[in-house]
Amino acid sequence: MSVETVSNVLFASLRVTTPLLLAALAGLISQRVNLLNIALDGLMLFGAFAAVVFGALFGNTWLGLLLAMLLSTLITLLFAVVVIEFKANLIVAGLAVNILATGLTSYLLVVLFDARGAYSPEGLESLPRIALPVIDSIPVLGDILSGHGVLVYVSWLMVLVVAFMLYRTPFGIHMRSVGEHLEASETAGIPVKRVQYIALLLGGALAGLAGAQLSVGNLTLFTDNMINGRGFIALAAVFFGAARPGLTAIGCFIFGMFEILQFRLQTATSIPAQLPQMLPYLIVVLVLTGINVQKRRRKVVKVE
Amino acid sequence: MTDGLNNAEGRDVEIRRKRFTLSDPLKTTLVNFGKVLLTLLVALLMGALVMELSGKDSLGAYQALFRSSLGSRTALANTLLASTPLIFTSLAAAIGFRAGVFNVGAEGSLYLGGFAAAWVGFTFTELPTLLVIPLAFMVAGLVGGFWCYVPGVLRARLAVDELVTTILLNYVAILFTEYLVNGPFLLPGVANAMTEEISLAARLPRLAPPSQLNASFIIAILAGLIMVFIMTRTRLGYELRATGDNPVFTRWAGISVPVVIEKVMFIGGLLGGLAGAGQVLGVHYRFVAGFSSGLAFSGMTIALLVRNSPFGAILASLLFGVLRSGSATMEIFSDVPRDLITVLEATIIFFAAMEISISFFRRRRHER
Amino acid sequence: MTYVDMQGISKAFPGVLANDAIHFSVEKGTIHALLGENGAGKSTLMRILYGIYRPDEGKIFLDGEEVEVVDPQTAIDLGIGMVHQEFQLVPSLTVAENIALGHEPSRYIWIDRKEMKARIQEIVDRFGFSINLDQPVVELSVGAQQYVEIIKLLYREARILILDEPTAVLTPQEIERLFSILRQLRDEGRTIIFITHKLREVKQICSRATILRRGKVAGSVKVDATSERELASLMVGRQMLDIEYERSKNIGEVKLRLEHVRANDDRGVPALKGIGFEVRGGEIVGLAGVQGNGQSELVDVIGGMRDAEGDIYLGSRDVSQLALRGRRNDGLAIIPEKRKEQGLNLATDIAENVIATRYFKPPFSANLAVRPEQAERFAAALMDRYAIKAEGARSLVSTLSGGNQQKVITARELADEPDVLIAAHPTRGLDVAAARFVREELIKRRDQGGAVLLVSADLDELFALSDRLLVMYDGEIVGESRPEDTSYEEVGLLMAGHTHD
Repeated sequence: MSVETVSNVLFASLRVTTPLLLAALAGLISQRVNLLNIALDGLMLFGAFAAVVFGALFGNTWLGLLLAMLLSTLITLLFAVVVIEFKANLIVAGLAVNILATGLTSYLLVVLFDARGAYSPEGLESLPRIALPVIDSIPVLGDILSGHGVLVYVSWLMVLVVAFMLYRTPFGIHMRSVGEHLEASETAGIPVKRVQYIALLLGGALAGLAGAQLSVGNLTLFTDNMINGRGFIALAAVFFGAARPGLTAIGCFIFGMFEILQFRLQTATSIPAQLPQMLPYLIVVLVLTGINVQKRRRKVVKVE
Repeated sequence: MTDGLNNAEGRDVEIRRKRFTLSDPLKTTLVNFGKVLLTLLVALLMGALVMELSGKDSLGAYQALFRSSLGSRTALANTLLASTPLIFTSLAAAIGFRAGVFNVGAEGSLYLGGFAAAWVGFTFTELPTLLVIPLAFMVAGLVGGFWCYVPGVLRARLAVDELVTTILLNYVAILFTEYLVNGPFLLPGVANAMTEEISLAARLPRLAPPSQLNASFIIAILAGLIMVFIMTRTRLGYELRATGDNPVFTRWAGISVPVVIEKVMFIGGLLGGLAGAGQVLGVHYRFVAGFSSGLAFSGMTIALLVRNSPFGAILASLLFGVLRSGSATMEIFSDVPRDLITVLEATIIFFAAMEISISFFRRRRHER
Repeated sequence: MTYVDMQGISKAFPGVLANDAIHFSVEKGTIHALLGENGAGKSTLMRILYGIYRPDEGKIFLDGEEVEVVDPQTAIDLGIGMVHQEFQLVPSLTVAENIALGHEPSRYIWIDRKEMKARIQEIVDRFGFSINLDQPVVELSVGAQQYVEIIKLLYREARILILDEPTAVLTPQEIERLFSILRQLRDEGRTIIFITHKLREVKQICSRATILRRGKVAGSVKVDATSERELASLMVGRQMLDIEYERSKNIGEVKLRLEHVRANDDRGVPALKGIGFEVRGGEIVGLAGVQGNGQSELVDVIGGMRDAEGDIYLGSRDVSQLALRGRRNDGLAIIPEKRKEQGLNLATDIAENVIATRYFKPPFSANLAVRPEQAERFAAALMDRYAIKAEGARSLVSTLSGGNQQKVITARELADEPDVLIAAHPTRGLDVAAARFVREELIKRRDQGGAVLLVSADLDELFALSDRLLVMYDGEIVGESRPEDTSYEEVGLLMAGHTHD
């Protein structure tokens, strides 16, 4: 295995990690206010759909991106109202969003473009790539880190932004307070509902961005099942990282790497495609199991 | 907190599911049925809105839908046909939800169970009907049950979130059966991935030709009645209801909550496997990739709508069968993609979720 | 000079009138006791003052001006602060972050930590607290956490401090320290309202006391001019607080025995450090101790719900490896500490609740099926025997009063005449009649030959009921005696960790 292959794999891994990372940050923010967001898959689908559709409609990818964020934020608003005002069960509402996403996007794809299953608009440009000035020239590192699409770098930035928000701003403190001790937050005069709404909506925007990265970040293509459970893998990364931005990002990268590895397995060997494709999901289940085994082991400290 | 507030606090109970106590008055059943119909009506209105906004004729579409699902003897048979797998999957979801377990793995069990049934059907070609069909169902049920049992154990013993694991494992099951049907078991010479046909003996008899309605419908109803019995009259039923209501209390009473969770997940998977077997042995006579169009998710929608009552699940599955069987014709005649049904389902879930909490919400307002 | 004046306050909840036309006034710069039993209405009244509840009727005046306290934020703005029984601290945040919660000083969009800590440090220094501002609050002792709560109030410049049962979780030494801080605050001119049901403390630190009884004001007195006995009778009315129970006449064989039991709490910290004791048939053994010294974990371990080392015997049988159901089959019954969470299924009815420990046995169960009619009959019989007030066996348990709920639990656990009964805080939150009922059932079980372990925070109850008293501190049994041979002071010292040397 040459250095070039390794750097190739790492480069691709970073690219593939991006939608996971953005979605995971969305999940992280929701988790911090104690509102488990099961709807990430559906929100990503809405984002992916809107980016392609609106991009094609207006002939401008950036506009598509913006409207993708807007759409997923609006859907999140619906989700937030149902859960926060009507106190509906979080999981149920999240599943509803996912189901709505699959139904509505398939429906609209047929109605608007007479396309079933997949749609790739003519002439729509994908998001631009950026060559990082200094880093570009560094031998191996440059190949891995430079030349990614815009949203890849945005996602890295967002990790820092989320961490800063969480630990250094009053809003972040309020979020953590709401998530850990609701009553204390209320008695401290924190507007709990407002904090929850804002957290969810921020997450919604990020999830939309994640979906857009999938549909217009590399190629410009929307397929019916393009999210394929990534929303839940992102959620698993949040569990892995205990809702801490840095650790969660690492989790996303690990899962992203497995996605690339399985793809390489497909092309490099004669193993039928589906078997490697199963790999990322199985790895996530194993990781989640492993985390809990660890937790349990730590609790059962041998009493002296 | 004390201060004589025990009454107020005591009522501060989240009523997330219908309390299926041992003696349910007829009145409550009727009221619940009314609520279900109301929710369906709202969903239909939403669907009409979506159709009109996208330039389709909603009235014509609904006419086509209901005519082809209720308008003739064959139509009715087709409706029952469409409701068959839904009965299984909604029961699977209901028993899980009632025990407080979010078992979303029926889709995976469906595929694996379906494949297992097909395998029995085209492998044991010498066996007579009375042996091969029960065998196929048994194998399908065991395989499906096991598939959900594993995440069940992870949840019961290690507290690994079963929602995430069952969803992820669904993808694994779908991919695995896709591999099987495209690889070792592929029928050579066909464009679409499918296995060879099962033996004639393994096919479930048709009940109302020319419709594909078959004996799996009867099996589904039987399964439903058994589930009603289990939930209301057995020890396991008591245990799973208690676990769903208050797992801490259940533990303090001496009931092993992990065992209950494992059993419930297994049964859910078993029902999913039976659903798959029913489709393979009764409709397709072989395993075809992608034969389930979100059957498990629809099952979940139904379970939520009827608040996990197994009896209600049977009835609501019939209603959903109407929607599903009519949607294909609706698509042909009114040019409305059948994905509209999925949109209807999502609306139903939203409203069911909100409605349940409205009564809770109303009571909360009095607390201040 | 009247500073806080609540006039004609009434507040009703479904089924209970918590406050009934209460007049409550406090003078500035005093420590004023709000005294009453559990359920008298004290917390409700103060929550109205703090804006958590709105009164149905009545007005509130502060320093002569009428005010409307619509929410806690308003209360804080008006200078009212409250330290709740259950601390309102966010675990992962530091001491400083918790104190400033909701009022963080900020520069542009980020928190100005220097400014935040400076202001807090000033308060800390003024009162001589020794507290690390950057420590996550979850790492502090209970006493230290309470200081954080008080500093929170001072940070918001509260002139009126409401303390809800502040000494419930403190050792006697911590209580002394708290009192000296309260005196300091009072001397500064702040007004303190001290909610309690402990007469000794009222005498120690309060100048005036208002006594509530069943939602009404039973009296408002000068503490110096009133004896403990008088305060007590105001609290309970014509009923006597103390009832004499007879000691056991017939102590038999050992029914419960623990040896060298060790276990960890939920955080992995050792909670039981080598516990050993025994309870005999025909005896009530009382377990005294400040909450948090391992009592809950002990009950968990006896029930088999917590991993532990060591041996547990029911009778002569070693049940250390047996699950709870097996232990129940061997004659163990438990009245758990948390009535609603551990003792009942609030979503269902009385019948379903009482068969929870026996649904799998005949006559409730035959083959696979559970028979509802048998459950109903059984429940009806229990309701009769234990005077449980409800419409019928199908009444939802959530509609019952606290006392009746506890009766359901007691009935369920005692119906099979268990050899060993563990009663964890069985009268907590109950009114006098219900509490007396439960205590009598414990005595009855003892007289029938059962072994009873009574875990309680109520020294009066322990001294009245126990044939033998054990004191638990820091995961160990530190003292054993008959109630007649010891005193409250001695037990209190043991509870606080003092050893006789």
